[in-house]
Amino acid sequence: MDLSKAPNPRKLQLCRTYFLTGFAFLPFVWAINVCWFFAEAFRKPTYPEQSQIKRYVIYSAIGTLFWTIALITWIVIFQTNRAAWGATADYISFIIPLGSA
Amino acid sequence: MAQEVKSAAIWLLLLLQSSAIVISERTRDKIYQPIIGASCFRRLNGTHQTGCSSTYSGSVGVLHLINVEADLEFLLSSPPSPPYAPLIPPHLFTRTNLLRLKEAGPRIISVVLLINRPKKMNQFSHELNCPNQYSGLKLDNRTETVTCDVTNVGNTWNPWGTGLLHEDFPFPIYYIADAEEIDKLESCFEKFNNFDYASHALRSLCAVEVKSFMSAAVNSEVCMRRTNFINNLGGSKYCDPLEGRNVYATLYPRNSPENLEANAARRVNANEKFIIVSCRLDTTSMFDGLGLGAMDSLLSLATLTHVAHMLRLLLPTQSTLPDPKRNVLFVAFNGESYDYIGSQRFVYDIEHLAFPTRSTHSTPISFENIEFMLDIGTLDDIRNIKLHTLTATPLAQQLLQKLNQYAKSPRYGFNVNIESNVGYQIPPTSAQSFLRRETKFPALILNAVPGNKYYHSVYDDLDNVAFIYGNTSEDYTILADINDKKYFDADSLQMKVRNVSSIVAMALYETLTGKQYQGNEVASSILADEFFYCYLQSSDCPLFKASSYPNSPAGLPLPPMRYISVLGGSQESSGWTYRLLGFLLSHPEPNVPKENCSQLPLFYFAGLNGTGECRRTTQNFTSALSPAFLIEDYDWRSGQYSTWTESTWSQFSARIFLRPSNVHEITTLSIGIVVFIISFCLIYIISSRWEVLFEDVPASNAALPPPTAC
Repeated sequence: MDLSKAPNPRKLQLCRTYFLTGFAFLPFVWAINVCWFFAEAFRKPTYPEQSQIKRYVIYSAIGTLFWTIALITWIVIFQTNRAAWGATADYISFIIPLGSA
Repeated sequence: MAQEVKSAAIWLLLLLQSSAIVISERTRDKIYQPIIGASCFRRLNGTHQTGCSSTYSGSVGVLHLINVEADLEFLLSSPPSPPYAPLIPPHLFTRTNLLRLKEAGPRIISVVLLINRPKKMNQFSHELNCPNQYSGLKLDNRTETVTCDVTNVGNTWNPWGTGLLHEDFPFPIYYIADAEEIDKLESCFEKFNNFDYASHALRSLCAVEVKSFMSAAVNSEVCMRRTNFINNLGGSKYCDPLEGRNVYATLYPRNSPENLEANAARRVNANEKFIIVSCRLDTTSMFDGLGLGAMDSLLSLATLTHVAHMLRLLLPTQSTLPDPKRNVLFVAFNGESYDYIGSQRFVYDIEHLAFPTRSTHSTPISFENIEFMLDIGTLDDIRNIKLHTLTATPLAQQLLQKLNQYAKSPRYGFNVNIESNVGYQIPPTSAQSFLRRETKFPALILNAVPGNKYYHSVYDDLDNVAFIYGNTSEDYTILADINDKKYFDADSLQMKVRNVSSIVAMALYETLTGKQYQGNEVASSILADEFFYCYLQSSDCPLFKASSYPNSPAGLPLPPMRYISVLGGSQESSGWTYRLLGFLLSHPEPNVPKENCSQLPLFYFAGLNGTGECRRTTQNFTSALSPAFLIEDYDWRSGQYSTWTESTWSQFSARIFLRPSNVHEITTLSIGIVVFIISFCLIYIISSRWEVLFEDVPASNAALPPPTAC
């Protein structure tokens, strides 16, 4: 969708929908929201809906950051301890590597 | 006219092109040359992984021929262009050398090739000094068996053992038996590698790539858990338990009218008495599909077969014996090389009244039914055999006296002396599984003083037992006269087996009938000749043919594989042994026509002449899968039962090629990157100056004319 052709209320509605969708454990939707509406929120000349869009973009960015940190932490913990955890690690794995612990 | 000539010329040219001039060889085939050999693979037990594995995409190493130990020093101290793949002859394939290569790590040594040049080899055994060290008879909750002392190597059951079969290697080991393949490797090494070592890093070198990636890791517990894991959507198998079949047969057919009902509880018949005569069916080696185990286990299987055959021909009907409820049970246990899989399962089955299986419609056998067990261990040197027992018993005394009476008898001239050995120094044979359950179990073990320098290795072959096929074309189904020595030398393998088997069979004859054996007939050395030909040279042999259905497809012209393998493996040796014991122990039923001879126990054999004959058989299989895989929540570290599994793999392959030098590789990569960047710049320039090239063409992003409204 070409954002430049959408009217301002439609942009706000889109941004809000994306923000709310992200709560369904979908941090990537927040990340897309940030990328997509960043220019609308901070670069475009002001228009009435912009302040709300700005808020949603900032919140989405915070959510994305939180998820990124949480995921990286978990991945590092899991990957470094997977072999040591033994059976537990196997039960929470979807793909088990071949030929190694 | 000119037109026609022209077209004819074109056709001719095309024809020539397609037939003679065009050489369609794939680039891949020009680069690589396959090497045929056998690979080492990974096995796992309750606590460890053993064997070898390549990296996922195949391990690559530069060929380096090792002639003396100093060549190895060169690779380990200052390798100019690692990783290397040493080509090692068997006499340098020692524990010390292999552990040094392992220590150097896969960055220095990535592949090891064992080449079949046994000239300087004096010994070669990869088994432990104490085979089955962690199973067998144990005392006071110790993890190691009490029957073998590792600290006193000279007194162990395999003093020449290196234990390499139980090591874990970070590189693949590939065995190349064929002389042509070895020459291929050597000439490639000489041509490209074996000069000016200093410049190795700067030039192309002959290298080998070995693919033998193993899926399983850590231990049996981990890989079985992963294999059985419910989330395992891919359905990938990591490992399989070692699994095979024990073969058993009784001397007399058993009558079990009380157990014909399928659902009724099974009752033991307390009157039945069995003498178990047993041996080992399997062998093993480090490399897939190789290892005949000629001396380490085939000799005992041959002896068991001959004893069975001789007793079957000598003994009168069961009802005329002093004790008409007595019978002899011959069992060949499978998987004994891997912590007594077969005998552990056999004992477990007897404990659970599950032997023979319900489907045989026969009465189960309990330990109370077993009178004693005579286990035939390794017979490396038949002049030096001992009868091992845990404690001195009158039973052992009597049997030894009977054995020696025939062994020393001038009448038969066997000239064998069997000594008694009482105590915990017991050889690693199946009887240990029985003794482990109950040390009072009447187990007697015939075992020679260890003399096999190639125990559990690829070199335990027909040369190791000095077997030469006599191919006499004589009748092997009858017993021979004691004075019949025309075909084989006194110290030939055939005569050795004839002598030992005759002694054992005569002693058992006396035990069963209560009378001394007075006959002139002894076991047939011709049967021994045929037996070894089948098991050591070719399954397409007269003896196997006679014991199959008439005109059934012949066996492969290769000896049957005797490694236990896994479920779905070839199970060749158990199948052949089953038919062979069936044939040799059965009674002819000349009045049953072929049509009515299709249901066991009746079986239609091709027979000696291949004409076909109906016989009443007594043989059957039992499962040789360790109880560890049957018991729910089995403690894998308990050491109670065998836990051996074999990793799965997708392929074994090896090929040689010219590996470019590092400099060459870096140059190629750099040129590639440069071309990549230049192409980007070029496209950018062309794109930004498109008008120069395409003057009249409208821009692609120009609005298209609107569709015509209808």
